[in-house]
Amino acid sequence: MPLANPPAPQITRTRSAVTASNVWRAYGSGEAQVVALRDVSVQFASGAFTAIMGPSGSGKSTLMHCLAGLDTTDRGTVHIGDTALTGLGDKALTKLRRDKIGFIFQQFNLLPTLTAEENILLPASIAGVKADPEWVARIIATLDLSERLTHKPTELSGGQQQRVACARALATRPEVVFADEPTGNLDTRSSGEVLRFLRRSVDDFGQTIVMVTHDPGAAAYADRVVFLADGQIVEDLHRPTADSVIDTMRGFENRVPLAGEAR
Amino acid sequence: MLRATLKGMASRKARLVLTSLAVVLGTMFVAAAMILTATMEKSVSGVIADAFTGVDAVVTAAEDPAAAQGNTPSATLIPADVLETVRGVDGVESADGDVSGQVNAIGDDGKLVGTFAPTIGFNWNEQSTGFNEIREGRGPEADDEVIVSTLFVTESGLDIGDTVTAYSYTADRADYEIVGVFGLSGDRDSLAGETQMGFTTTTAQHLLAQGENAYMTIYVEGDASTDAIADAIGSDYRVQTGEEASEEAAQGFAAVADIMGYIFLGFGLVAVFVSVFLIINTFTIIVAQRQRELALLRAIGAGRNQVVGSVLAEAAVIGVIASILGLGLGVLLGWGLSQLVSSSVMGGLAVRLEVPPTALWALAVGIGVTVLSAIVPAVKASGVPPVAAMREAVNPPKPLRGITIAGLAVTAVGGVLVALGLTDNLGDLGLSGFLSGVGIAFVGITLLTPILSRPLVAFLGAVMSWSFSGRLGKLNAGRNPRRTAITASALMIAVALVTGIATLVSSFKQTTEELTDSNLESDLIVMGQQGANIPTFAPETLAEIKALPDVAAVGDLYGEFFGAQVDGESTPLFASEDLPTSLDIFSGTVAEGSVDDLADDGLVVNESAAEDRGVALGDTVPVTFADGTTVQLTVAAILDDALLTDGWWVAPAQIEHFTVPKPMQAYIQVADGADVDAVQEEVDTILADEPEVDVTNNAQFVEQQTAQLDTLLASVQILLALAIIIAIIGVVNTLVLSVLERTRELGLLRAIGMTRGQARRMITVESVIICLFGAVLGIAVGIGLGWTVQQALEEEGLTSFALPWSYIVGYLVAAVVVGLLAAIAPAARAAKLNVLNAIAYE
Repeated sequence: MPLANPPAPQITRTRSAVTASNVWRAYGSGEAQVVALRDVSVQFASGAFTAIMGPSGSGKSTLMHCLAGLDTTDRGTVHIGDTALTGLGDKALTKLRRDKIGFIFQQFNLLPTLTAEENILLPASIAGVKADPEWVARIIATLDLSERLTHKPTELSGGQQQRVACARALATRPEVVFADEPTGNLDTRSSGEVLRFLRRSVDDFGQTIVMVTHDPGAAAYADRVVFLADGQIVEDLHRPTADSVIDTMRGFENRVPLAGEAR
Repeated sequence: MLRATLKGMASRKARLVLTSLAVVLGTMFVAAAMILTATMEKSVSGVIADAFTGVDAVVTAAEDPAAAQGNTPSATLIPADVLETVRGVDGVESADGDVSGQVNAIGDDGKLVGTFAPTIGFNWNEQSTGFNEIREGRGPEADDEVIVSTLFVTESGLDIGDTVTAYSYTADRADYEIVGVFGLSGDRDSLAGETQMGFTTTTAQHLLAQGENAYMTIYVEGDASTDAIADAIGSDYRVQTGEEASEEAAQGFAAVADIMGYIFLGFGLVAVFVSVFLIINTFTIIVAQRQRELALLRAIGAGRNQVVGSVLAEAAVIGVIASILGLGLGVLLGWGLSQLVSSSVMGGLAVRLEVPPTALWALAVGIGVTVLSAIVPAVKASGVPPVAAMREAVNPPKPLRGITIAGLAVTAVGGVLVALGLTDNLGDLGLSGFLSGVGIAFVGITLLTPILSRPLVAFLGAVMSWSFSGRLGKLNAGRNPRRTAITASALMIAVALVTGIATLVSSFKQTTEELTDSNLESDLIVMGQQGANIPTFAPETLAEIKALPDVAAVGDLYGEFFGAQVDGESTPLFASEDLPTSLDIFSGTVAEGSVDDLADDGLVVNESAAEDRGVALGDTVPVTFADGTTVQLTVAAILDDALLTDGWWVAPAQIEHFTVPKPMQAYIQVADGADVDAVQEEVDTILADEPEVDVTNNAQFVEQQTAQLDTLLASVQILLALAIIIAIIGVVNTLVLSVLERTRELGLLRAIGMTRGQARRMITVESVIICLFGAVLGIAVGIGLGWTVQQALEEEGLTSFALPWSYIVGYLVAAVVVGLLAAIAPAARAAKLNVLNAIAYE
């Protein structure tokens, strides 16, 4: 693959939960080749809430998948804490995801056969360990799920399901939680609840969260917004508000008109 | 619309193969059964026709054609002068008299040659040499010479130059020198497993015709009409053309092939029945998966009928292809089975393949079953609303009330039919009533399986929930009760059938054991394997056994089974040298009169037989023996009805009139404190010169009595093996589709840290639970079936009920193995899922 490899910039790894250095990722080959990530270097501070934004096809999902060990990089390295993901086998990656990473998806992705409580304890059950009961109780209380623990996902509303997913992501105290469009399928009220919880888990519990989103309103809950376009980081906004996010997007849409639908 | 259907099918090849396989197997067995029957019939009639080549007419004695075949010593004979008369008829070129019948020959090991198939003795003449080919040596020229068939050489261990001892019912042992070996034309060594000995006509008449100069059959060559021959010899004889005689003879042999054919037809029908579930299941899942596609078709204007048509068209295509394939394979299987039957029970008969037009029925069955099975899913498919194309497909689990009520009703109908069939209320239709009742009950129970799956799957799953992935597997197995149930049904039906049969066999065994224990007061039994003839031994041998110091008592049994008549009615007769002792040993008791010092004209009979004939104590009854003697006997005692002593007993003085005036069985009571094994050895030594009988202890006796049942039971397991293949296909099918349906879930589980091994385990547990569920249900139904039949047969003597524990455990183990095997491919597929694609999977 004809990809250049420029020297890595100096990155201090102290207090950063996730670090990507000179990450390249391309799909397909020849004429059909689409470069999803071009030499992306970024770090996500521990105990911070970071949003990744960008138009469709900008590579934001690919970046998240590479950071979370779901996808491999062509070049460059990714670290979760002090662990380098590059070169890890399926078993090690699986274990890393299980022990150090939490996931929240747009489609909730709860197991329909399990109750809400069993879904929350799922990662611990898979690992064959017992989750810290006090910690789990605290999350459940914060998410106001105490009354719903014995319900199956089909008996829960969308907002409730996503709150269960949030609890599941945090139950094992992961080093970092990746949230992929967590409010994409929710109404405004439920979105607010989920985002307020994510915010609180950063402020009160010191959780690290990386969230991919389309919604400027959602991004405004974050400490920092990283903007991607055409596989590159084009803007890095600290202490965003909805307005500042919209302004940034607008300016940046003017600069990069009509980002392609390619992946 | 059809094009869309075909294209859709082409994109789901693996699933098509799985569904088709079930249809292929069913069609294959049905076709093979029909081909086997037709082929064996054709082959047998071909051989018989060969044997009758050149025979233009056949003369037999008119009365009792069965006796004329020479299987009994009382066969009606044709005197030699009739042969001369036939030879004198105009147009008769040659005529030969044939004497043939069953003889006993003692082999190398001191025991009888041939066990189940008889040894046939006959007069070797020119006629014999047409069909029989001399392989070595020559035909008999002196009366103490014999030519034997190649199979005789194999079975007896004797060869040219050896001396063989032979005798018959009516002729004592004599030695004959083997001077030649012959085979049958077409390089065969036997027609149907029999061994043969060719003697001179004089010797054959000595052995088989009580020494009279007479024949059993006359074979005629020449163009004399049958009428002309009949006119010449009179109405005492039957004259047939060679063709007629050939056909008549073929019919008897073809019966064996017919029975095999029915067995395989049964297997085929079970396979078809099981396939129905598999096909319904597959189409239901296909429809569920295509919900969006179907809704889209509806949204763009396809009518309900078109949707039904599209699904049915898919079924028809599968049905046609699979049935044709099945028919083709069925021809091969039928040919192979014919070869097997021919070489194992027909003495290497040359197979002439015949595909009867009826084999096309297999094609119709295959296509019909496939299309009919697809109707319910097809109608369901047409119910998909167009709007389903626009939204996430939600399939809430349907309530099981309707299906459960239907299941209860159908099961009840089946149960009633079974009960009616077993209790003679249907008369001649009893067997078909019973069988269709079983079939209907199976359908009913299948409808009940979804509701049963909930508690059973939860229970079975609890056993396997020691790991978390096991627990998830259990939850998945219980997720769609209908699907789990119908998948398990295939295994359920097969296991139910074999468990039912195994239960009956074990009940029969236990009954035999109990009978022996409670009714037989002896320690050792002298008797032979009941084969083509009734084994006997010398009265002197019996006396020797009685004289042994450690023998306390001996109950002996003489029997007359051929042609004895009591008051003009054909009835078997028994006799014992010491009736009081024999009655003690057989647990028989006297109701009226006395059996002590039975007078020579005394007659003893059990209560109900006496009642049937209207005979009472003191009555005089005429008894005619096979040798023609008629005596007037007086009823001296009436016995209580008892299993082992029912029947008519005559005094020892009458034994000389029996066809075989020799004891058949002896039951030995060993003296108190004596060693049974030591006595058995002593008796064994005494029996060294008795080729037909052995001495066994009670346990060996029970084993001998039930040995054939074990063989039957083993062959029934083939049925299970066949159903297991179909069951594996069904489980694989269901699992593959489940994995597909749950791709996103699997993706999530892998994303949040489930290892590949755990994913594999999860699928495997699901598979094993489904299979165990089917097996447990099948075992329960089978036991119920066995119990019902046992209850019905209780009056016929099947008094005990016993469970076949070893088989039950075997079936459970088999179910686990099937589960593990079926899970291999789907589990690998689940483990290999690309996590990213899986999460994004729609």
